[in-house]
Amino acid sequence: MNLIDKLQNVDTRIIYIVLLITLSIPLLHPIGIPMQINPMTRAVYDIVEGLDPEKDIVLLSMDYMPGAGLDAEVCPIAVVEHLMERGIKWVAISFGTTDGPMMTNRIITDLERRGYKYGEDFANLGYMAGGENAIRLFALDCLSVPTDVRGNRTSDLPVMQGIRTIKDFAFVMQFSASTPEAWIRQVVDPMGIAFATGTVTVCVPSLVPYYNSGQLKGVMGGVSSAAQYEILCNKPGRGASMMDAQSMGHLIIIFFIVLGNIGYFLSKRTKENLAAK
Amino acid sequence: MRKEVPLLITLIVSIIVMLSRITTGPVPLIGISMPELFEEYISPWMTVVSAFALCLASVNLIMVHSGNISRKRQEWVYSLILLVTLIIYGAFCTYVELNPDNETAAANYSLIYNYILSPLMTGQWACLAFYVASASYRAFRARNLEATVLLVSAILVMLGAAPVGSLIWSKFPTIQQWLLDVPNMAGQRALLIGAAIGSFVASLRTMLGIERSHLGIGGSS
Repeated sequence: MNLIDKLQNVDTRIIYIVLLITLSIPLLHPIGIPMQINPMTRAVYDIVEGLDPEKDIVLLSMDYMPGAGLDAEVCPIAVVEHLMERGIKWVAISFGTTDGPMMTNRIITDLERRGYKYGEDFANLGYMAGGENAIRLFALDCLSVPTDVRGNRTSDLPVMQGIRTIKDFAFVMQFSASTPEAWIRQVVDPMGIAFATGTVTVCVPSLVPYYNSGQLKGVMGGVSSAAQYEILCNKPGRGASMMDAQSMGHLIIIFFIVLGNIGYFLSKRTKENLAAK
Repeated sequence: MRKEVPLLITLIVSIIVMLSRITTGPVPLIGISMPELFEEYISPWMTVVSAFALCLASVNLIMVHSGNISRKRQEWVYSLILLVTLIIYGAFCTYVELNPDNETAAANYSLIYNYILSPLMTGQWACLAFYVASASYRAFRARNLEATVLLVSAILVMLGAAPVGSLIWSKFPTIQQWLLDVPNMAGQRALLIGAAIGSFVASLRTMLGIERSHLGIGGSS
């Protein structure tokens, strides 16, 4: 195999090892590359900043599972941190996956360790079966979930006082590993609520039409959005710590793409020269 | 009757759901409006049916995998692992639910999820980075105009999305945002409109009984 062929056929194992090393170094020793804030992420931050801690309550629809990785998990952590810092109460529920309540519990466990009170500062209403229809049902009657994950009556929870329909929440945000069309169809358009979404990076392009039309008030997409959000909150966390690794990963992928194309064009030219002779 | 009754139910329910969005007044003889009919009756039924479907899925899972084990089909060991995990996890969860005061049991239940299931699933997701790197290297070749446009767009979006891109050239994020806001949005809207029309046609076929596969009685008539 000559050099041109080698450029086009780099062993997969080499790509994997190079990528592993390149991702590991910045994770162990972050470089701290400065970030630009995306307007869609800033929009979510601005909404939370504009909420009134005295009266506003936020609904979080936790529709992601561990299979979506940190890309899905860092966004809700960043937003919840911001909510807690501002003293805004929130309620979580899941429609998209039965894993949702467990993912919420992971966040809640940490908050309780830090002295926040379950039921007063936040609550986890668990999973509601029925997908799109359940979203609509809950939106019309938020007490249609009789108990939370700890067996408390939903209507007795201090955080749920004054909540009857989804319109009683000041802001609704869904976190998932997909797109929020069901929410837009069933709740956002018919009931006109302030709604934003946090999803994995690959879903962001398909959400741009909804953001530009105003149906989504903000969009967070994966680790990079979470990192930007943490920077806006002046609290760099897990998201920010991973951004250098993401940068390096992107550069390595681009490097290999360029390498493959150099090999491709050299081989094309060689073939053309041979054909001309 | 086996065909006609389910088709009639489908037609009536779909008409109620459709009218619930476009009518407001009470229906003669019934006395309540279509939105109320949908929200008070049909919507809760659908949630109950969905919850029941979850139960049915578990029963189906047990039946399929029990069959694999009893007949010693290929890779039956995995079926055994699945059933044992299902039973242990189910029993543990039931115990935790019945004893809400036992915090140790609840904490241990979370341990299984957080330290076995979650790392396994996250690990699987993380492997995608390696597959994507390898696949990008092999697939992104500027063989023709379309492939070149795709290749250049991908590189620009990658550089715009990563902080290192703005360090190289401050305009990369602006270019990335333009690609998302203009060409991407045009394509996405076309897809959305196409999917909506397709979905409408599929709904109409189901409503009119032309499409019957959802009833388990064969495909289109």
